[in-house]
Formats: sequence, structure tokens, C-alpha cells
Amino acid sequence: MYPGGVHAVAGVDLDVFPGEIHALCGENGAGKTTLASIAAGKLKATGGTVVAHGNVGLVHQHFELVDRLRVWENVVLGREPHRGAELDRAAARAEVEKLSREYGLAVDPDAVIESLPVGIAQRVELLRELARDPAVLILDEPTAVLAPAEIDALFATVRALAARGTAVLIITHKLQEVVAHTSRITVMRAGKVVARLETAQTNVDDIARAMVGGELPELAARLETAPKPALAVRGVSAGESSLAVRNASFEVHGGEIVGVAGVEGNGQSALADAIAGVIPYLGSIELDGVALPVGDPARRIAQGIRTIPQDRRREALVLSWSIVDNVALGDQRRPSLRKGVTVDRGAARELAKRIVERFDVRTPSVDTSVSELSGGNQQKVVVGRALAHDPKFLLVYQPTRGIDVGAAALVQSRLIEARNAGVAVFLISFELDEVLALSDRVIVMYRGAVVGTFERGALDRARIGSLMAGAA
Amino acid sequence: MSGIQDFVVLTLVKAAPLIYAALAGVVCERAGILNIALEGQLTIGAFTAVAVSFATGNPVIGLLAGVVAGALVGLLLGVAATRFGVDQIVAGTGINLLALGGAAFGLTVVFGQPGASAEVSALGVPGERGLIVGAFVAALLLHLALYRTPWGLRTRASGENPRAVRSAGIDPRNVRLIATMLGGALAGLGGVYLSLGELDLYSDGMTAGRGFIALAAVIFGRWTPFGATGAALGFGALAALQFVLQRSGVPSELMQALPYLAALAALTGIAGRARAPQADGVPYTE
Repeated sequence: MYPGGVHAVAGVDLDVFPGEIHALCGENGAGKTTLASIAAGKLKATGGTVVAHGNVGLVHQHFELVDRLRVWENVVLGREPHRGAELDRAAARAEVEKLSREYGLAVDPDAVIESLPVGIAQRVELLRELARDPAVLILDEPTAVLAPAEIDALFATVRALAARGTAVLIITHKLQEVVAHTSRITVMRAGKVVARLETAQTNVDDIARAMVGGELPELAARLETAPKPALAVRGVSAGESSLAVRNASFEVHGGEIVGVAGVEGNGQSALADAIAGVIPYLGSIELDGVALPVGDPARRIAQGIRTIPQDRRREALVLSWSIVDNVALGDQRRPSLRKGVTVDRGAARELAKRIVERFDVRTPSVDTSVSELSGGNQQKVVVGRALAHDPKFLLVYQPTRGIDVGAAALVQSRLIEARNAGVAVFLISFELDEVLALSDRVIVMYRGAVVGTFERGALDRARIGSLMAGAA
Repeated sequence: MSGIQDFVVLTLVKAAPLIYAALAGVVCERAGILNIALEGQLTIGAFTAVAVSFATGNPVIGLLAGVVAGALVGLLLGVAATRFGVDQIVAGTGINLLALGGAAFGLTVVFGQPGASAEVSALGVPGERGLIVGAFVAALLLHLALYRTPWGLRTRASGENPRAVRSAGIDPRNVRLIATMLGGALAGLGGVYLSLGELDLYSDGMTAGRGFIALAAVIFGRWTPFGATGAALGFGALAALQFVLQRSGVPSELMQALPYLAALAALTGIAGRARAPQADGVPYTE
């Protein structure tokens, strides 16, 4: 139950049978994770019962591993094999190796978690749960952090588990995966079950419609705009080694969306940080024809350069603060949010209310701390803040990562509306579909360099794909 | 030759209470509790040992009472931090003030005089030596316990990521509570050493900031029992050096500041390598 008396989950019935792969779908804030926590016994329900024929394992969306401990230490934590008072390391390692072989989850038992890529770290989390021989395994957004090859490997494991008789419940937004890998689907909305579907008899559109209730929200219409140059990037190099951006040049005009197509790790992050002014760079970045000083992100914000950072929890929001305080953050010196030397809390409140209304943020109040909001609603606050003060240029990094289709469509619509209103929008996304759907122009990045430019009328998906993969 | 021997002995004498307090700091911080209250635990351990030795005439009972008193002060910090969500720095500072005031008040109640207690029966030279050796034994035992037992794994995990401990089915708050009690007992023993080992009385301010130097030793020793012991030995040597250099005209204030300067250096110069437990001082709530 959220503070303010809203039940996160209300009166839900859900059966998952041995050997089946069951999908639990729903928008952010629909109550999926809450339900999973209740089922796994991590959270107490105020009513109702959970019956499981054996252990329930939960693989968390944000792994609950101890970063500086070894793999085997994480796996045996809480049920350590021991001889007398001494921890039996050999037995612990052997157990991990055995599980590892049994489930085909290759991992070095002595590796320290923080040295592992996310895909491998997830295996450790999976191994830890499998070590308890669960009758039911719940995976919360397991593919959100994985590369395509890792996703395939994960589903191979999940299928093998189901074949052994484990009941598997997968919580996910990625409806393609749901259709490809599950047998039954339960859809939740606002804490209630709204649909129970057989995968064989449904499709992505039906599931999406059930999730958002009614038809999918349409994207805002793309108007004809008269572009004028806003931001120019000239010969910019920044960042380190393989993640660096090298000698990138392009322009973003007011009234257009320029999208970056590229596989993650090809310089996008360094480029975004350079534009935001948070890392040093070579070359020049000009706003309205005037070169910006290197560094000084506050000045950029004052001049109308706004960003939607890639990690909303770390870079965009102070999670323990209220919506009001987060909305004022970064704009606290702006005259409209100031009263003498103090922040005008009344004005900040009004602004927060406008954002909550316009962006359909589901929250009991604007005083709620953002940590209590779902990921999608957090992102709406971030986007709302970025658009609140008539920006000239908007840098958008993975705006819909890990959020549900309803919130994603809303965010995308607002971006197009901003473009229609004359904002220069620069979109970095690793979802090619998103880049192609939103952009007036697409630039392709590979190994830190801009390797291709496509106008909207001449988008060539196959050509873009091969450039992204490094074809000359 | 005998000058060097004196210096080594004096180093050990000065280092022993620091080792106990530093080990107390290590066990607490590895579990995720920043134990600012080491100074107070030393104080209460020292005073209680003297008061009980005075009452019973038996310094060994005094020693045990000092250890128990230290553990109880640790428990107080642990309960405040894990059950009531009190900020650990605030709770620790409060406990330090309470301990100092409590011991001063206790002096007038038990001994009828402020400032210092009467002389009581103490542990004597064998006891002092035993406690010095005990400090190194404690370091070894704590090392083995932290790195070789299930308890140690849970303790270290609680200091790094208590949520992971929770999802392994263990309440990290209990793990932390046990660590603060153990830490309090160790620091209490350090206090006993000061009052009944090195001397035979309690006087106000006799801990002289050793609890804070021990915190520096924890950082300098990178949160490991052996490292902290080594750092405490280093600080003990500095203290011993003070006696040697007293006649040479080096201001003693400068010497007293050295441990803190060294700790600053540890935090800044080699900050990249000296990493605190990730959840050190971070409260865990459900």
C-alpha cells in the first residue's frame, strides 16, 4: 500500500503451475513488483494468502548482490556450509560449480561481483535462488539490463527450468519476449488483474491494449516546422578509450528531432556528457552560433540546454525528495522559482502540480517522495521538469528505458510536441525502433564516430543497421 | 640497545588500548555501523572496571564488568541505530557525551570525589602484559572470524549490502546489533587496560581521544583486523616517540596531531585504494 491509502495491489488472484512460464505484464505502477514481493514473502500483504508448494525464489530487477564479495560467497550467504564454526569454502565452491554445470550458467565461483558484466551478475543472482531449489521462480524485469545474446541465454535457462517442473513467473514490459517465450499471460492495471490470456491465442497489440486500458495513445502529430540552427557540435572528442566520442560534428535545429542510432557503448554516453557540460572535451559546442564554455552545466541550464539523463535514479532525481523539490532542483535560481533569497515553494508547488497533471504522473500528492513512484512515473517527472522552462535544446538519453508502453507513448508524444513548438531535440536511444519513429534526421554512431546521416525521407533501416555494426 | 628496547615496550604499552578500540571499530564498520562511540566505550569500560574492582576488591571481576559495560554501551548504539533509526553519528556523539558525564558523576557517587578515583586493586604487570598479548590474539581471532566463518560472511555482507543479506533470509539489523555488542566489549577491554592494566585508578579524560585515534586506525588499516592493528601499532609508536622527543623541543601538540594527519593522508592520498564498506554508516530499514 502506498502512503495516502492507495493499494499497490488489491484483490489479485494469480496461479502459476509447475512447468509453465507465466508472464506478468502491466504498466509501471500497476503493482507487478509489489505482487512479486508478496509472493516471494518479502512483503506482507494486508489481506489474502499465498500458497506455494516449496520455496519461492525472486530474481530482482536491481540485483541484490554484495558487490565486493565473491560469487560463491553471494550464493551461499545465509545458508553457508560449515565444519564446526568454520565456513567450508571447498564445499561452497563445489556447490556453486555443481549448480553452474547443472543449469548451464557458466560463472567463475571466485570472481568478485563488481568485476562481472551485468549479464553474468544476473546469473549469480539466479544461481543463488536456484541453490534453494525453488518450486516457483519469479524474475522481475530480467532482460532490462541484458544484451540480445544474453537475453537468448537467459530464456534458454528459463525454458530448461520449466522443463524440470519449476513454475516460472516473468515480470516484463517487453511484449515481444512475452509472446515468444511464455505460455500464459496475466495483465495487471492499477493493482488489479485486467486480463488473463493464453499466449497462443493473443498478440502484442492485444496485450498492450489490455495493459493501458483501451487503445494505445497516439503519438502527437508531426507538424511541418521551419528548422533554424540551435545547437552545433563541431569536432567534439571526449571521454576515455573505447567509450570515447571522436571528432563528432552535427547540427540540431529548432523544430526537429535528431536521433542517434548506435549500439550502446559507441560513444553516446561521452557525447551526451560533453553536451551537458559535465565532462571536458575538445572541439566546440555552439548554442545559437555562440561557443559554450567547456564545463559549467549550470550555465547551460540557464541558457536553455536541458537534459534527460540516462539514469534517472542517479543523475536526474534525488529519490528521497518530494516531487516539488525535485521539480525545483536545478532551476532554484530561476526568477520564477525565487522569492528573494529563498526558493518560492508556492511557485514550485504550482509547477509540480502542472507537471503531474500534464504528464499524468500517478501519485497520491506532489509531496510524495519520488522514491515511492514507479519508474515510469519518475521518468514523467524528469521529462516534465526538462520541458517546464521553454528549453531551446533538449538532450534526451534513453527516455523510455525500463518504462511501460503507456508511459513511453506519453513521453514520446511530449517530445514531439516540444519539437513542434520549436525545441531542438537530440535523442540518444539504443532502441532503433524508437529512433526511427521519432527522428527527423538520424545520425549513426560507431566506435565514437558519426558514420552516417539519414534524412527522414530517406531512412534505410538495413543500411543503418549495417553501419551500426561497423560496415564501411 | 636498552633505549630501543624501552621504545618497543613503550610502543606496545601505548598501542594495546588502540588495538582493542580499532578492532572494535573494524567489526562495527564491517557490519555497517559507524562506531563514533569508541571513546565512550573506552571510558565506560575503564570506569566500570575500577568501580567494580573497588567494590569487590577483585580486579578480574572488575575486568569482566568493564567488558560487559562496554558491550552494553555498544548495544545501546546498536539499538539506537538499527531499531530506532537514529543517525549513527548523532547516536555515537550522544553516547560519548553520556559516557564522559556518566563516569564523572559515577566518580562522585562511588568514590565521593571528582576528578579521579582512589587507587584500587589492579591487574598488575602480569595483567598488563596479558592484555597486551590479548590484543594481538583478539586481532587474529577477529580476522579468522570475519574471513573464515559464516558469521563473518554475514557480517561483511551486512556492511556492504544489507538488502542482499535480507534477501538471503537473514535480518541484517540483528547482524549489526551483534557486531556493535562485540565491538563494545572489545573497546570496553581497551578501557580496562587503561585503568586497571596500565594504572590502578580512573581519572576524568584518561582515554584522551584514543577512541578517535582508533577510528583513524580503522581507516588507515583499510577496515581489516590486521591492518587496523598495524595502524594502531604505528600510532602507539608515535605516542612512544613523544616521550623520547619530549626533551628535544618538538612541540608535543604536534606529535599528538600526527595520528589525525596520518588519517587524513590515508583518506586523501590513497583514497583510491582505501575503500570503506559500501553500507558503512548507512541505516537499513525495511
